[in-house]
Amino acid sequence: MTQPSLATLDVQGRIATLTLNRPEARNALSLDLLAALHARADDLAARDDVSVVVLTGAGKSFCAGMDLRAVLGNHDLALRLLTSLGDLTVKLRALPQVLVASVNGAAIGGGCGLTTVCDFAVTHADSKMGFPEVDLGVCPAVVAPWLVRRLGPGKARAVLLQGGLMSGAQAHTLGLVTSVVPTSDALAGAVDELTAGLAQGGLGALRATKALLNELDGSGDSDLVRRAAAISAQVLSTPDAQARLRAKLGV
Amino acid sequence: MIRVIQDGPVAEVWLARPEKRNALTPEMLASLCTAVAQVGAGNASAILLAGEGAAFCAGFDLSLCKDHPDGSVMRALLSGLADAIAALREQHRPVVIAAHGAAIAGGCALLGAGDFVVTNDEAKLGYPVVRLGVSPAVSAPGLRLRVGSGGGAAARELLLNPRLISGLRATELGLANQSVPLAQDVIGVARDAARSLAEKPAGAIAATRALLAQLDMLGDSPWRALRASLALTGGDEERRMLPAAWRTP
Repeated sequence: MTQPSLATLDVQGRIATLTLNRPEARNALSLDLLAALHARADDLAARDDVSVVVLTGAGKSFCAGMDLRAVLGNHDLALRLLTSLGDLTVKLRALPQVLVASVNGAAIGGGCGLTTVCDFAVTHADSKMGFPEVDLGVCPAVVAPWLVRRLGPGKARAVLLQGGLMSGAQAHTLGLVTSVVPTSDALAGAVDELTAGLAQGGLGALRATKALLNELDGSGDSDLVRRAAAISAQVLSTPDAQARLRAKLGV
Repeated sequence: MIRVIQDGPVAEVWLARPEKRNALTPEMLASLCTAVAQVGAGNASAILLAGEGAAFCAGFDLSLCKDHPDGSVMRALLSGLADAIAALREQHRPVVIAAHGAAIAGGCALLGAGDFVVTNDEAKLGYPVVRLGVSPAVSAPGLRLRVGSGGGAAARELLLNPRLISGLRATELGLANQSVPLAQDVIGVARDAARSLAEKPAGAIAATRALLAQLDMLGDSPWRALRASLALTGGDEERRMLPAAWRTP
């Protein structure tokens, strides 16, 4: 069952804010949270009065990544979780609104992947971002196509294979985020300024332009993310990945 | 409003409407296509595209749309722009663009046809047209070629956010290849670049350019992009928002 409170949608004029609302788990992506995000994204797809959507996280983190605790040792559940994330990325990218990720804190793995689906991403210099999947024996397959679209294949290759995390400042130098502010308390102002500028655009003009950009970079390829989810779930089920994850999660 | 000057091995094609910052009209775009075709039939080894006066190109002359709320002039401008970009790109010789001062909207879209683009640090570049209810989709394929495979974010930033960037920033992004401190120095640097390219072995340049075009895999995307921009012309949003273009100075 969907729990709408796990993902909230607040609309103010032409600008909506979609918030991952599971702060006690650093907004880690569980099946329930993903289902709530799917439902809010479906709501947004029907809103032709909204031109800009801000995606952010409640509490101190943006999103700590996939909630793998619940799917450890269960390949089918893991596949469901990863497929849900993959489908969500395609759904968010296809939204008619311009998406801005307001990366308020840690954005890790699948959480960082959500920022790459957005048209813009803003963070502060001290946030933590990145794709540490390989360090845990896991394959960041679902996010890979999105990172390639954001950074280009050369940089994406290095980032995904090197794993680890980077600061918001480093993320900006790399091109993972489109702008950075020095401190977390300056983030809201910077996002407001960006969204106000974007909201000046005509709804139809923004929608048509984004749709064409999506077409040009293959953003609608839902088969690709489905295949990626299957690869990721397969690697996750290997003994090496399971052992590393159990050690990391302490279970 | 288009002038062609043969300068040794370089054919210079000039946007020549300086009193309007070289704002593009349907006739100008048609003349540009004709001029490029003529140059293409000649023996020039490189093409230099430049603008007379204070700025390379301020974009479409939107005042022409004022009396055509049906969108017919906007359609002619968009189609003419796509044709001009295609004509430049189809050339067998390299295209250098001197984008001094300003290259805005349709003027910035022309940069998508360049092999080597020179601008100045303080120049204003960008596609701020969504706030006029116009989609810059027509510019997207060329822009993506300029900003490269890592430019997914830059293309979205430039086309969706209606603001201008500096020549310096444009060069960081790859929209331009070189930025010089002073606007008046752009043409000299661009001439040097065109002459240098013109002196390279023509066969090697043509083969390399053809290969790069294949790697670009543009396919029919320029025409799909044009259709995306055309689809909005004459619509309610454009009728409501476009008049801002002639209300503000």
